Amino acid sequence: MQFFYSGLTSGSIYALVAIGFNIIYNTTGLINFAQGEFVVLGGMLMYTTLTILGLPVSVAFLVTFIIMFIVGVVFEKFFLRYVKLKTETNLIAITIALAVIMRGIAMVIWGRDSLAVPPYIEDKTISVIGGSMNSQSILVIIVCFFVAIILSSFFKYTKYGKAFRACYDDQTAATICGINVNMIRMLSFAIASLLGALAGAIIAPITFVTYTDGIMAGLKGFAAAIIGGLGSFWGGLFGGFALGVIEGFFAFVLPSGFKDAFAFIILLLILFIKPTGLFGKKKAVRV
Amino acid sequence: MLKVTSLSVNYGFVNAIRNVSVHIKKGEFVALIGSNGAGKTTLLNSIMGLVPKKDGEIIFKETDISKNPPHSRISYGISLVPEGRRIFPNMTVMENVEMGGYSKKRSEVVSKMDEIFHFFPILQERRTQLAGMLSGGEQQMLAIARALISSPDLLLMDEPSMGLAPLVVKEVYEKLSMLKNMGLTIFLVEQNAMAALKYADRGYVIENGRIIMQGKSDELISDNEIKRAYLGKEYKEKWER
Repeated sequence: MQFFYSGLTSGSIYALVAIGFNIIYNTTGLINFAQGEFVVLGGMLMYTTLTILGLPVSVAFLVTFIIMFIVGVVFEKFFLRYVKLKTETNLIAITIALAVIMRGIAMVIWGRDSLAVPPYIEDKTISVIGGSMNSQSILVIIVCFFVAIILSSFFKYTKYGKAFRACYDDQTAATICGINVNMIRMLSFAIASLLGALAGAIIAPITFVTYTDGIMAGLKGFAAAIIGGLGSFWGGLFGGFALGVIEGFFAFVLPSGFKDAFAFIILLLILFIKPTGLFGKKKAVRV
Repeated sequence: MLKVTSLSVNYGFVNAIRNVSVHIKKGEFVALIGSNGAGKTTLLNSIMGLVPKKDGEIIFKETDISKNPPHSRISYGISLVPEGRRIFPNMTVMENVEMGGYSKKRSEVVSKMDEIFHFFPILQERRTQLAGMLSGGEQQMLAIARALISSPDLLLMDEPSMGLAPLVVKEVYEKLSMLKNMGLTIFLVEQNAMAALKYADRGYVIENGRIIMQGKSDELISDNEIKRAYLGKEYKEKWER
C-alpha cells in the first residue's frame, strides 16, 4: 500500500501539470511544452520569497502567484500572439524554445543546486491503512483535489468559465457572442502558469527544486494528460493519479531507476492502443 | 440603421466582394440573395468583423464600426446567426443561450431568457440537453435564440435554410417574420431565393461580389432575370405545392 500513497503524491503534481496542458490545449489547440518550467519557477519563487526574503508563507504564495500570472500573460501576449505564421507547429516550437529559455534563466538566477524550501505545515508522519504518510504529502493531495474542484466549478458554473468552453467548441461563434477570444487564450496561459506554479510550490518542500526539474515534470504531466485523454479535465486528473500510482508500483517491484521509463512506456501503450486516451472525447463535429 | 458603403473585402489576392453598398432601415426585413460563392457570407462576416475589410465603411446607427474588433460589435446591437448555425455542441441549450448574452449583465440575460424560451418552446423543453444532440431545425432555432438574447436591434441571418427540410425552413421563416412584426430589423442572406423573397420586404441580388440588382421583393420575384438565374424554369418549390 505504501507505493500507492507515494504514488498519490507525485500523481497530484502530474495531475496539476496535466490540467494545465489541457486548459491550454482546449482553448488554443496547442501543447505548451513550457508547462514543466512553470512548475520549476513556482518552486524557485517560493524559495526566493520564503528562504531569501523571509516573507510569511501566505505572502510568499501570493507573490509567487502574481509573478507567475504575469509570466503566463507575457508568454502568450508577447511570444505567441505576434508570431507571423501562426501554424500550430510553429507555436508549439515556440513553447519549446521558451521552455529552454526559462530553464536557462532559472539556472542563471538560482544556480545549479537543489534548493530547499521549508515545509509549510509541521512535518510529521501519519499512519494510514497499510502504511504511513507524510503530512506534507497529504497537503499536496488535498490541494490538488481542492484546485480540481474549484476549477471544474469555474468551468461549469461561471460566465467566464463557460466562455472558455465556448472557445473550445467554436472560436468564431464565441467571437460573435462577444467573447474576446484573444483574452481567453491569454487567460488560459495565465491559469496554466498558475497551476504549474502551485504544483511546483507545494511539492518543493518534499522534493526540493532544481532548474532541470521542469523537463521531467512537463513530460510526466504530458503523459498524464495523454493517458486521461488530451483536453479532458477529469481525464487529466485521473491520468495524473494513475501515472503516479503505477510509477510508484513499478518503483516498488523493480529497481527504482526504471521508474521514469515506465511513465513513458505507459504513454506509448496508450498512444498505440487508445490514442484518444481513457476519457478522451473527439471534438464534436458540426453536422 | 445599417449603411454599408462601397465595401470591399479580399481573401489574399481574390476579391470576395467589391464596392458593395447596402442600406437597411429600422424595422425592415431585407434579403440578400445570390448563388454559391457570390460573396453573401463575406458581406455578413465583414459587418460582424470576422473578416477584415479592405475598403469602405460600415455605419451602424451613425457610428462607423468597421474598425472595432469583432467581439465588441455585438454591444452596438448587432447579432449574427452564422452560416451553418455554429452552436456550441458540447454545451447545454441553456448555456448556449447564455453565451449569446455574454456582453450583457446577468440580470438582463435572465429576464430575456424567459421571453426567448417562450418564443421557442422547443428549446425550453430541451434546455438541459447538449446542443450537439439537437436536430438541424432545433439547432437553427437555438442559433437564433442565442443571437436574440443580447436584445439586438439588427439581426443578421446567414442561410437559415441551409441543410434543413422544406417544412423546417418554413417554420424558421415564420419565426423570423414574427420577429419582424415585433419590431426587429432583419438582414438575411440566402441562396434559397424563393423562400427569402417571399418573406422579405426588400431584396438585393449579389453576383460575383457585386450587387447587380435591388428592389421590392415582389418586383424581384417577378423579374425575369431573377427567375431564370435563381428560381429555375420551374421555380415553384416543392414545399409550396
